[in-house]
Amino acid sequence: MRIFRRPFLCAFLLAVAAAAAPLPELFNDRLKSVVAVEFFVQAEIERQPVTVMGTVVDTQGTIILPSAAILPGIPPAQLKDFKVYRPGSTESFNAAYLGQDPFTGWHFLRVEERLRSSLVPITQYPAITGDPALSDELWGIGLRNRDEDFTPYFLSSRVATVMKLPQKTAILGAEVASPGLPVFNAAGQFAGLAQTSFGQNFLIFSRNQHGNPILLINVEESSVVLLADEVLPNLGRVPQSVTGRPIAWFGAYGLQPMDPEVAKLLKLENQSGVVLSDIMDGSPAAQAGLRERDIVFAVDGQPLPRLKPDRVVVGYFGQQILKHRPGDTLALAILRGTERQEIKVKLGDEPKLAREADRHYLERLGFTVREFLYGDGIMHRAMTTEQKGVMVQFVKPGSAVATAGLRPDDWVKDIDGEEIKTYAQALAKLSAIEADVKRPEMVLLVSRGGETAVLRIKLI
Amino acid sequence: MLLAQAAGAGLSRGFNRVLEAVVRIDVREIEFADGAKRFSGGIGSGVIISEDGLILTNAHVVSPQAVEVSVTLANLERVGAVLVGWDHWTDLALLRLDTVALKARGLTFAAASFGDSAELYAGQTVYAVGTPHGLTRTVTRGIISNNDRYFEDSGGVNGYETGAFNTWLQTDAAINPGNSGGPLVTEDGKVIGINSRAYIGAENLGFAIPANVARRVAAALVKDGAITRSYIGLVPGVLQDLERFYALASNTGMLINRVDPGSPAAKAGLRAGDVLLTLDGRKVDGRFPEQLPPIQQAIASLPVGAKAALEVKRGAQTVAFTVQTEKLESRVGEEWAFEKWGLSVRKVTRAFARENQLLDASGVIVLGAQPGYPAAESGLARGDIITKVGSEPITELAKLKNVYEAYEAKPEPQLVEAQRNRRISLYVIKP
Repeated sequence: MRIFRRPFLCAFLLAVAAAAAPLPELFNDRLKSVVAVEFFVQAEIERQPVTVMGTVVDTQGTIILPSAAILPGIPPAQLKDFKVYRPGSTESFNAAYLGQDPFTGWHFLRVEERLRSSLVPITQYPAITGDPALSDELWGIGLRNRDEDFTPYFLSSRVATVMKLPQKTAILGAEVASPGLPVFNAAGQFAGLAQTSFGQNFLIFSRNQHGNPILLINVEESSVVLLADEVLPNLGRVPQSVTGRPIAWFGAYGLQPMDPEVAKLLKLENQSGVVLSDIMDGSPAAQAGLRERDIVFAVDGQPLPRLKPDRVVVGYFGQQILKHRPGDTLALAILRGTERQEIKVKLGDEPKLAREADRHYLERLGFTVREFLYGDGIMHRAMTTEQKGVMVQFVKPGSAVATAGLRPDDWVKDIDGEEIKTYAQALAKLSAIEADVKRPEMVLLVSRGGETAVLRIKLI
Repeated sequence: MLLAQAAGAGLSRGFNRVLEAVVRIDVREIEFADGAKRFSGGIGSGVIISEDGLILTNAHVVSPQAVEVSVTLANLERVGAVLVGWDHWTDLALLRLDTVALKARGLTFAAASFGDSAELYAGQTVYAVGTPHGLTRTVTRGIISNNDRYFEDSGGVNGYETGAFNTWLQTDAAINPGNSGGPLVTEDGKVIGINSRAYIGAENLGFAIPANVARRVAAALVKDGAITRSYIGLVPGVLQDLERFYALASNTGMLINRVDPGSPAAKAGLRAGDVLLTLDGRKVDGRFPEQLPPIQQAIASLPVGAKAALEVKRGAQTVAFTVQTEKLESRVGEEWAFEKWGLSVRKVTRAFARENQLLDASGVIVLGAQPGYPAAESGLARGDIITKVGSEPITELAKLKNVYEAYEAKPEPQLVEAQRNRRISLYVIKP
């Protein structure tokens, strides 16, 4: 009888172990992998404080923040004073900004040593295997703002669908976590990372208008979850430099998806493609012999999948490029007219980005001048040979240049009648003007939306 | 009291004559918006200017898209009229009454006579006659508020450019929608302007084309049905306050604010920031905005294809350029609707291509796609530029018409290549 009972008892104990700890317990434990992060962006004449949520990814104190935490184009030098807080605590810890990973878009931080021992990386919890099933219940962590000591709270919802966008993403019925924070299943297994939420349509009724549609985005909570399979393999992508480099460069812009009707007509059933529109001269794509109107339908032997909605394939293609490093070769199968071809593209180094550009704030004149970048040339549809001049990055409201009509994103081509060929030349000229307090005026030739205008700026 | 009566009596004699010459114009015109061919109606005014039944009105009242023009004479009889020619740059159109019908019905009319608009002075009493809001034969009174008003409107005449080549008369005589095309007259009944526009929502800010411009344009329209102007691609700016910077004698030069890419001036090497000093040896003075239209007019009146000598100040240097003029074109091209596709289009013109930094003037712009029809179902939308259908490049509107005819005869899926912001997309139009 005793012999009979023991196995029974063992089986019972095992069952208790498999059934997870109660949710409040799991919730309090998983809080060790999440933090609130504060920093500010130091612009020319103002500071913008930012609060975002981050997830701990290793024992070295590395924290990832969602891509949207920092606007593109902000130079790392303008990001100041990173502070990390534990949920429910007012004690702050310093952190250093490590840069943005070009593939995932995540920003990486490293927090100071003394906090590290109280953190648990998300990788130390078990992760779910495979995709969560439809209607599975997931839960996550939300953090309140600083005035509530970043108090954590519990959110949960069920999986509505799993989509490829192009990464596998679960959409839940309701908000399940703050963007940037992890989501778990009932057993406490890591299921994924909450992304920036989708916009939702609402109607606003007012006295004069019957139901005006507006799009609202919940920035504090999200119902969109990037699944663990897409998160875990990439957590080691800590940028080698604060600029995020190396970044692979293909050099075709304005890629357009192909709808299923077009694919059918071109005999590319059940697959998709991207149409190449703007191939910049001198770019890797141009050097490989790609032309505008070429349709790419396979990369490295893998056909581009048919994803929904159609435009997702453009993101998919972009990721295929960013997965590589500069110098790697990409084999593309293309359709040119009705002819199929194979083209090998040797990826280059991404040209200088806005966040890396040289810039200088001329305090008395009231504007920031920035070097002209390859990206500006694309925006202004300028040939590489025409890419001279400098860009206006910022205009101080009410300043002399603002009064004269100078605006951010203006392209300055001449200063005082002298054609500007380099940033250094522009900076030397403008600095001399800035230093000369007796100078009555300056004249700029600027280009804006393809139109040029001569601006006379009265300085005194 | 006696004096006022005497003036009133003088006014009524001249006035009665001009009142007899003012007509109401009802227009039905074709529109190619929203992917369909539609008809719309409008009301305007006009003035008969010759014994053989020529009527001056506005280009925005009667355009080449008018399919039916009906004129109500002073005696309230209605007669048909046809378009002789139009010129959106000056917002003028010329009609001719159906003289056969007039004769058959024994109808008569009076013709107004022009005054000299160069003699007008600010403060002078003037009257506007027309059909505001459909109220036939309305006379309003005001004064000349300004006799040399400059404004240019790149889409002022139903999307067509206007105002670059003339200044306007400004008046506080009430001008409302429907007054368009009616005359602005002096107390003695002379036509000194054609009422054309007003600031809607403002109080009594109305504008008229000066009679001296209208006479010249009417004469050219009778002769050729259109006005040919030359284009070199300079967009002027005022030099006001910049003379010292450019080290210029006062009252000399016109600032070049922009040179259209690919234009004759760009090909010759002119650049924005240059100052135009002379045109074919004649000095240019563009210090104030009001002085720009005469300079633009001087360029426009050069023969098409002629070589013009331009002297330009660039930095400390004076540089000479020779520019070969080309024919001035509107940004608005020919329009058409392909009804089975639910698609209406407009030809890309050279001017449109330059304005939008397109590589060339081939292709047609989608004006509209009717929901539920094949074009809209394929994903084509307003603003797309169709450049290719199947293997046929759509360089001209006629090419698309050919493709459409073939489709009508034998409906088959068509692969359409279109651009938007220079992004190329593919669409399939299916029966």
